[in-house]
Amino acid sequence: MKIHIKLLANYQKYLPPDCSSSSYEAEVPPDVRVEDVLAQLPVPLEESVVLVNGRTPQPGQALQEGDVLCLFPAIGGG
Amino acid sequence: MYGWNGRILRVNLTTGETSVEEVDPRTARDFIGGRGWAIRYLYNEMDPRVDPLSPENKLVFSTGPLTATPVPTGNRYMVTTKSPLTGAISCSNSGGFFPTEMKRTGFDLFIFEGRAERPVYLWVNDDRVELRPADHLWGRTVFETEDMLRAETDPRARVACIGPAGERLAPIAAILNDKHRAAARSGVGAVMGSKNLKAVVVRGTRRIPLARPDELKALADQVVEEVKQAVAAGKATLRTYGTAYVPPVTNEVGILPTYNFRTGVFAGAEAISGRVLSEKYLIRPKACYGCPIACGRLTRVEDPVFGGEGEGPEYETIGALGSACGVDNLAAITKANYICNELGLDTISVGMTIACAMEMYELGLIPESDIGRPLRFGDAQAVVEMVRLAGLREGFGDLIAQGSYRLASHYGHPEFSMSAKKQEFPAYDPRGAKGMGLLYATSNIGASHMAGDTAYMEVFGVPKKVDPLSWEDKPRLVKYFEDIFTIVDAAGLCVFLSIRYLFEPTYNVEPVRISRLMEYATGAGYDEETLLEAGERVYNLERMFLVRAGFSRADDTLPPRMLHEPMPEGPAKGHVVELDRMLPEYYRLRGWDENGVPTKEKLAELGLL
Repeated sequence: MKIHIKLLANYQKYLPPDCSSSSYEAEVPPDVRVEDVLAQLPVPLEESVVLVNGRTPQPGQALQEGDVLCLFPAIGGG
Repeated sequence: MYGWNGRILRVNLTTGETSVEEVDPRTARDFIGGRGWAIRYLYNEMDPRVDPLSPENKLVFSTGPLTATPVPTGNRYMVTTKSPLTGAISCSNSGGFFPTEMKRTGFDLFIFEGRAERPVYLWVNDDRVELRPADHLWGRTVFETEDMLRAETDPRARVACIGPAGERLAPIAAILNDKHRAAARSGVGAVMGSKNLKAVVVRGTRRIPLARPDELKALADQVVEEVKQAVAAGKATLRTYGTAYVPPVTNEVGILPTYNFRTGVFAGAEAISGRVLSEKYLIRPKACYGCPIACGRLTRVEDPVFGGEGEGPEYETIGALGSACGVDNLAAITKANYICNELGLDTISVGMTIACAMEMYELGLIPESDIGRPLRFGDAQAVVEMVRLAGLREGFGDLIAQGSYRLASHYGHPEFSMSAKKQEFPAYDPRGAKGMGLLYATSNIGASHMAGDTAYMEVFGVPKKVDPLSWEDKPRLVKYFEDIFTIVDAAGLCVFLSIRYLFEPTYNVEPVRISRLMEYATGAGYDEETLLEAGERVYNLERMFLVRAGFSRADDTLPPRMLHEPMPEGPAKGHVVELDRMLPEYYRLRGWDENGVPTKEKLAELGLL
């Protein structure tokens, strides 16, 4: 199934080179867990905020077709 | 005294007399400095019921014990007065270089009283204090005023001044320092204007004596090193993008104010992001005095319509003048920001007020003949034009300059004003971050992100992530953030560094590092407990100012949209702010009665009786 991986703020440098927006499509096994996808990403996970469709995922949560998995570094500002 | 200068400069603008007062050590310690000292003096000296624009109101500029020390970001000052926008107390603060220079004159506080007959400016050159005529500066922009004042005083002097908006008493007028930094909120610029005080110019060469300088330097250096490591590791988002990195983040969680808070999802969020700002307009990042972060943006826009050069925009400005107005044109937002700085306006209040006017125009509640043009969401050129008119209080801009509550009430529909205590919301829709909802409603200064920004935890995960959509845990979180923001403000530091590096990573742990820095600077006997208690003391005294000004539980509220209109889409879909459920628990934790008034027991506990 396909999901969208969105990388914001300083994590934009981890986007694929040909990616013109903040997100790209990724092919993952059906019902894959959030943690399993995160483990495959080149992003430092400590001090990161992880969201699925804009909300904080539950531990062990499985992803669904079309979900948006978003990561950005934990830092305040505004 | 260490850390503090221990001296106050009092300026009576009516008589033209100035005097110097010493601060007693116990007051110094118990009220920390900055915002804390300011409310201590205002509460004792003035009637909170006075007209904010009358000579009876007082205006306080204050620095803290860590301002102008080696502690990184020790570069803040606060402006405290009775606000013409809210009728409550103000706590508008700013960084840059003026605050450090002010502290080095040897005074911690300037207290302005009365009203000058003709325009004047204050020139403080170390111990030499002079009120000078400012007739030649009246009507000038912020940029012109600063250039002229440095030419006629000292090229190394630092300037805080008002522009035309403050002179014309706009309740959303700011005080600008170093041209581009603003003590923006609550209309503090109008209070300065009402006193015929155009500018404050400072040149200081005094070094601040420290109680334990070696230990302070060692801990300060350690913090700087941690920030540098984050920069080297490519984690320093604020350096890379400024706060402009935020719109895609708040959009992702569905709380980016859009179309006057009709929704929290904006299709143009990417177009107004820090990434675009960096690619198209950034000249270089710019730091305030002694700051390793450098979140400031020196920018240039080359565009036939929206061209210019200056600083900004920050996230809040982008939210207010951009998404809230449905505008995805970053050049126009940046131009509108430049005009705000030039004329001396609060970018948040003016942007959110234009958004309010746009919604009311589209609903047919404001006739086009009043505005003089169509005012639809998404019209970038209209935003820029309205900002200019507001800064000059010309045409329809005269109503915008009064803020959204007065504008919406003028047309009989105050419910379209997205404000609390008449001050416009910052750029977080509280339906998707419930702590922010409780904060806006209860804050002593009206809606503000600087009063105790729980979005740090609800959105940004600092120091740890909490669920933004839950309300049960928020009364405790809001109280804690209000108290620690009070400490940071009173100490003279910037929250960007403080929240991340100077507190322990869970909110029920004491503020370890900042209390050590305070003790190394002052030697006054601070530890975690006494510092937190001092923060709470200051917060309660501010509250008592409001109580005496006539505020009550009825004012601790939010617009009906936030309470009754569920968020229509996005991750916060279906949510409102459960204020009625949070408020009683918040009052209980604060030691306030059911009307939001501090109890005798609480006041006694804090030594405020």
